[in-house]
Amino acid sequence: MIEKDDSRTMILDGVEVSFTPGETIYEVASRSPGEIPTLCYDKRLDPFGGCRLCVVEVEGVRNPVASCTTPASEGMEVRTSTEAIDEHRRILLELVASENRQIDVDPLRGYASQELTELVDRYEARTGRFEGARSGSSRTDDDNPFILRDYDLCISCYRCVRVCAEEEGDHAINVLNRGFETRISTEFDGSLKDSDCTFCGQCVQTCPTGALGDRKAMRYEGEPGNIEKTRPICPYCGVGCSIDVMTRDDRIIGVQPAMDGPANLGALCIKGQFAYDFVQHPDRLSTPLIRGEDGELHEATWDEALDRAAAGFKEALEKHGAESVYGVASGRAPNEAAYTMQKFIRAGFGTNQIDNCSRA
Amino acid sequence: MSATSDQDLIESWRDEPAPLLPVLHAFHDRDGYLSEESMRSISQGLRTPIAELFTTVSFYHHLATEEGGKEKPRVCNGPVCCLRDAGKLLEELGEGATAMPCPGRCDEPVAVLRGDEVLLGLSATELSPIPSPLPAPNPGGLDECVFGSIREPGRSTLEGYRKTGGYEALEKAVNKMTPAELVEEISDSGLAGRGGAGFPTGRKWKAVAEAPGNPKTIVCNADEGEPGCFKDRAIMDHDPHAVIEGMALAARATGATRGFIYLRYEYPGTCAILERALNEAKAAGLLGENILGADGFDFRIHLRRGAGAYICGEEGSLLNSLEGKHPFPRNRPPYPVTHGFEDLPTVVNNVETLVSAPPIVLRGAAWYQALGEGELAGTKVISLSGDIARAGNNEVPMGLPLGTLLHDWAGGPAREHELQAVTMAGLSGGFLAGDDLDVTLDEPSIRSRGSFLGAGGIIVFDQGRDMVAAARNAMEFFADESCGKCFPCRIGTKRLTERLAGSSGPGEMAGWEAEVRDIGKVMKATSACGLGMAAPLITESLLKYFPEEIARRLK
Ligand SMILES: Cc1cc2nc3c(=O)[nH]c(=O)nc-3n(C[C@H](O)[C@H](O)[C@H](O)COP(=O)(O)O)c2cc1C
Ligand code: SF4
Ligand code: SF4
Ligand code: SF4
Ligand code: FES
Ligand code: FES
Repeated sequence: MIEKDDSRTMILDGVEVSFTPGETIYEVASRSPGEIPTLCYDKRLDPFGGCRLCVVEVEGVRNPVASCTTPASEGMEVRTSTEAIDEHRRILLELVASENRQIDVDPLRGYASQELTELVDRYEARTGRFEGARSGSSRTDDDNPFILRDYDLCISCYRCVRVCAEEEGDHAINVLNRGFETRISTEFDGSLKDSDCTFCGQCVQTCPTGALGDRKAMRYEGEPGNIEKTRPICPYCGVGCSIDVMTRDDRIIGVQPAMDGPANLGALCIKGQFAYDFVQHPDRLSTPLIRGEDGELHEATWDEALDRAAAGFKEALEKHGAESVYGVASGRAPNEAAYTMQKFIRAGFGTNQIDNCSRA
Repeated sequence: MSATSDQDLIESWRDEPAPLLPVLHAFHDRDGYLSEESMRSISQGLRTPIAELFTTVSFYHHLATEEGGKEKPRVCNGPVCCLRDAGKLLEELGEGATAMPCPGRCDEPVAVLRGDEVLLGLSATELSPIPSPLPAPNPGGLDECVFGSIREPGRSTLEGYRKTGGYEALEKAVNKMTPAELVEEISDSGLAGRGGAGFPTGRKWKAVAEAPGNPKTIVCNADEGEPGCFKDRAIMDHDPHAVIEGMALAARATGATRGFIYLRYEYPGTCAILERALNEAKAAGLLGENILGADGFDFRIHLRRGAGAYICGEEGSLLNSLEGKHPFPRNRPPYPVTHGFEDLPTVVNNVETLVSAPPIVLRGAAWYQALGEGELAGTKVISLSGDIARAGNNEVPMGLPLGTLLHDWAGGPAREHELQAVTMAGLSGGFLAGDDLDVTLDEPSIRSRGSFLGAGGIIVFDQGRDMVAAARNAMEFFADESCGKCFPCRIGTKRLTERLAGSSGPGEMAGWEAEVRDIGKVMKATSACGLGMAAPLITESLLKYFPEEIARRLK
């Protein structure tokens, strides 16, 4: 028998709420007011259950449970914030702070880079208790131009490892050693460029501490003026990832993925994430150029340029026939534009010589 | 003879279930270490990303990644060997020798692992391989379940096993019982898990029998990583067919068709014994297809060696390790009974649990149930070590007074000192001392004192011992073995170790206690698995019984 109405109810902080079977307590709770703190959670990833900040009390269960990994069940009574739970969270945060260099990092390091700082402040956990050895060790030797690996700040939440595997499919990094000695490592502990890393920057943007930093954006750290965010679509390819372009005084200083971008849900590749320098590069062409009788390039209007191109095509067609034309559609074009392009070549010129550049 | 090629090694395992561990060992054995080229070959051959393979190898203590590493001696720095100057032996063995956690030879310290050999002795010149001793008969002539027939000569061979009633339980189960009746017999006996958590075995088997999804799997947990525990080793060394028969019964009860024995790396001799027994059983048609002529009763067992990680005894971590994944524990629910090996229904049972099944089936639930004192069901094997006259394994009736075991069965203190404290559950139960030494050996009694019986390892410390040092040694073990998945344990075990060593933390008692209690509280309440939940019992019990020793240390 298949039940038509799949919804169930549970009691969340004294209020009856409904849920769909398969949802975790955290997912249910995130629809209600009151914020359960998390550090190892990224809603795009499989729940991991590492930081334990999301623990909640369940009636009839002796120990608190991690709300991010525990499925909601019919009739379950959950308390998301009690004196005991909040104390556990504060102690956990004091412990995390104690393994860390305890500096506040610039938000330009990455999208999630303020998460730890915000929680430590919210739970007043900057107490200096539990001092002892620090964990992690920064890879100052990894001199790639994109990603700072400042593992002195790492809290071993493994979001970077999981985003690389689950979202990016690259499996470039993983957890070396165990216990307090765990570190994030590539194959044979080398540099990112000698690994399977594609420099998509996903790990940077999910890191809750700034242990991974966006080196390009960090060039502008500490400069005066407000940062503005604008939400365009990445111009590079047909996927259409939404990005947040960060500008200060009309200058692009960085790109962050739009976590709610419908096509990408926070995912980007190296191009959308890091390859924006061309936009404001002095060598960038901003008007069409036409080569004149004198052999030099001269600025022209679009109409002049298109007329000139059409004339050239016509001439080739008349002199050498349809087989002299070969169209290559840009990989940056969406399906609709690519379709128009092939129509243009096939119907317009009468040749099937049409291709796309995406064969790297 | 030329060495086998990378390709051949991979090929010989690639289509077997759970291939990663055996492939790693094949390369490790061939070369004496795992080279970068080997890891790259394996990564390609098994389609495991290289960063994942490289870091997973780093997780295991005993996989050497430097040339000649496998043969370098490793000296136990566990709680018992440390009472016998293991540190001095480590020094004597000189360069290349390193420390390792307890390899389960606490009955005859100090233990050294060299290549595929375990050597015992108190100094470098004395070291020699010594086989596991047979458990001594109990003084009262009490009926036993686990050790009932283990002392019969030749018991470890198929012939000897059969002569002493072996495989009769399986025959009975096949010929005279339905799988459901088999489950019921185990349930009625009151048998509960002997690996630490004490979950009722019949209920576990029933859940797997009823769970949707095939093939189902029986995993024998032979990882025995808890310091002070060495019972499973004695069982497997002297009664390997009992393990096989127990697993076959579980398979019959649940409909499982594949089985694994996950054996800790530190038991190389046991590995050879089990291999031989498995081959014997296969040849005799006791494993394979249509076992004992029963139509459709198919069951195969694959032996898999661990590689040195205490956490791999935790069932979720064990299953990840078998599957070739990073051995972090899994989140629960779901539990292995529905989502175990390859996410299919799986029984994970301890060695002692499984070998209890054949006698129960043969002699009946009521017989087993009555072996315990009063209302308590059955027996428990206790591994006893430390400052005690007769260290070794003893099968005690559930509910036997601890004092009776220590004094009447095991001869009391080994040295001139009086007994001071004992550990419970190996190290996981922390210490019992003072008036709490009047417990009886069963969960209700021991839990009422804030500890637990668990897998049944008891280490004895006499009055001549420094309990703060013992606590530090224990916490170092937990810190070294913490997998690093969850924050409370990863950071907490480190901080507690530092505080017990006095290397950081408050220098006065009130501040020290406040920090240690807060860390312990959060570890117990929020850790993701039993390791982190149990570790603070060490500091909790130290504070309970030995506050003056701590205070003296802080001054
Ligand atoms: C840190 C840790 C280590 C464990 N090690 C072992 C072990 O070595 N052997 C074992 O049988 N169970 C071990 N367990 C318990 C297993 O998770 C599991 O409960 C047990 O194998 C189930 O079998 P049982 O019901 O027959 O006891 C361990 C648990 C934890 C938390
Ligand atoms: S940049 Fe992308 S590919 Fe490289 S490690 Fe980070 S997530 Fe993985
Ligand atoms: S680098 Fe950042 S994301 Fe990765 S484990 Fe460390 S803190 Fe987490
Ligand atoms: S409690 Fe310790 S061993 Fe268990 S999951 Fe957490 S870190 Fe790993
Ligand atoms: S958010 Fe649930 S454990 Fe980290
Ligand atoms: S063998 Fe050394 S403590 Fe167990």
